Amino acid sequence: MRSESLNSSWLDIAPLLRGEVDLVARWSAGWDRRWLLFQIVIIIVGAGSYGAAMGWWRDPQQAFYVAIKFPLIILLTTFGNALLNAMLAPLLGLNSPFRQSFSAIVMSNTVTAVILGAFSPLIFFLAWNAPAMSASAVSGTAYNFILLTHVAVIALAGTAGNLRLLQLLTRLAPGPMIARRVLCAWLAGNFLLGSQLSWILRPFIGSPSLPVQFIRPDSLRGNFYETVFNTLRHLF
Amino acid sequence: MNENNPIPPQIPSPTDAAQRFAEKISESMPPPPPRPGPALLGDDPAERIPIPHIFAAIEALLRQPRRLLFQLRQPGAGKLIISMLCTTAICSLVYGVVAGTFSGGTQLWAAPVKIAAGLLISATICLPSLYIFTCLSGSQARLVEVCGLLAGLLMQMTILLVGFAPIAWIFSQSTESLAWMGILHLIFWFIATLFGVRFITRGFSHTNAKSHAGLNVWIIIFLLVAVQMTTALRPIIGKSDTFLPTQKQFFLGHWLDCLSQSAGGDKRNRGTE
Repeated sequence: MRSESLNSSWLDIAPLLRGEVDLVARWSAGWDRRWLLFQIVIIIVGAGSYGAAMGWWRDPQQAFYVAIKFPLIILLTTFGNALLNAMLAPLLGLNSPFRQSFSAIVMSNTVTAVILGAFSPLIFFLAWNAPAMSASAVSGTAYNFILLTHVAVIALAGTAGNLRLLQLLTRLAPGPMIARRVLCAWLAGNFLLGSQLSWILRPFIGSPSLPVQFIRPDSLRGNFYETVFNTLRHLF
Repeated sequence: MNENNPIPPQIPSPTDAAQRFAEKISESMPPPPPRPGPALLGDDPAERIPIPHIFAAIEALLRQPRRLLFQLRQPGAGKLIISMLCTTAICSLVYGVVAGTFSGGTQLWAAPVKIAAGLLISATICLPSLYIFTCLSGSQARLVEVCGLLAGLLMQMTILLVGFAPIAWIFSQSTESLAWMGILHLIFWFIATLFGVRFITRGFSHTNAKSHAGLNVWIIIFLLVAVQMTTALRPIIGKSDTFLPTQKQFFLGHWLDCLSQSAGGDKRNRGTE
């Protein structure tokens, strides 16, 4: 029964976006490699096209680099934390197997990537309409507007992905409190690793005063939290 | 007289009648109220399934801790405890290698040795006090059960640390600040210990202990011993000319030294720890 539904709809991403919890729960319980591969492809395409749009303002080469880096961060975070997330779930009361925990997180990231992909033409349009990236543009309104737009779109996509994940966890967990607890633990772990990976793989938008590069030569020097801490210390 | 009826009718014995009466009474009575406190270990048939190998023990620790607790009370639990301790050693070695990648060189073997040895020595030092506190709390647990609970705590801690290893590795490769790495490892260790402590507390509640006060005191002792062990065996993440420190120090003093060095801009001096 399950395999039938998996086979018949493995290319259909709409139930994920709609949050059809029963169907999604069945998908997460199964381990269909095609379905998993399909989701990974969606993450690469969706997040990649958003990354390309993000880097386009600086340079087409920057767009190419960010198109690789954006999905890379999502996938490295998902795989890097897979073991930890699978261990945290049963410890916090959700007795799901490794595959189900992994599958649930991949599905959530797929939703995020689809939304990002859907917004990428708008971001391309925004970059096309913005004045060329220069020192004056970076200090002006255009830069701030583009930056805020990215924050808003990424926040929207991330929130939607996590809301769908929460719905799935609520369906799988014995109680809503456990579902929230597991989601918070997963988010904390993913944030910790994801933010550091983003820090290492910078730049994304780019800077007119610095060359276009895949990663900065000093990318492995310092960490995200250290920099935030030092900035706050200098500020106060 | 009895020729027409050779088989005499069976007269129910007084004991049969009493049994039937008791059955009738018990059927008409409501079921007894559930026993207060946690359900007895082994009430669920799934908990009685033996744990054949260490992977099953890890699975049970994460998903069915009651099954592991039940098996630790059975005869022949010593084998299970030894395999749990072996897993603890392997997992702490793995995490140690990751911690050692921050400095590289000799720390690649020194850090895993120190982490594994430090954890096992801490547990050995704390085992007698755990047993004493367990007895003082009125618990009926035998020494082997107490060893099993401690082995469960260690295994829970170290398998979670292995889960944290990819994050620790990423940070090890991308920062030069010893203080930051120290704080990060301490946070991971603290989270892992919290889950380990939860396991031992859960196990303790099945030993008929009248109070958890003794266990709570022991948990504080264990935390202090483990933290001091990291200072006694320093450097674990930094570099040094000697395998063990030449100067005795308490952990708070050592941490304050590290933080002040870091704040003073001595971020690249990994050899000072």
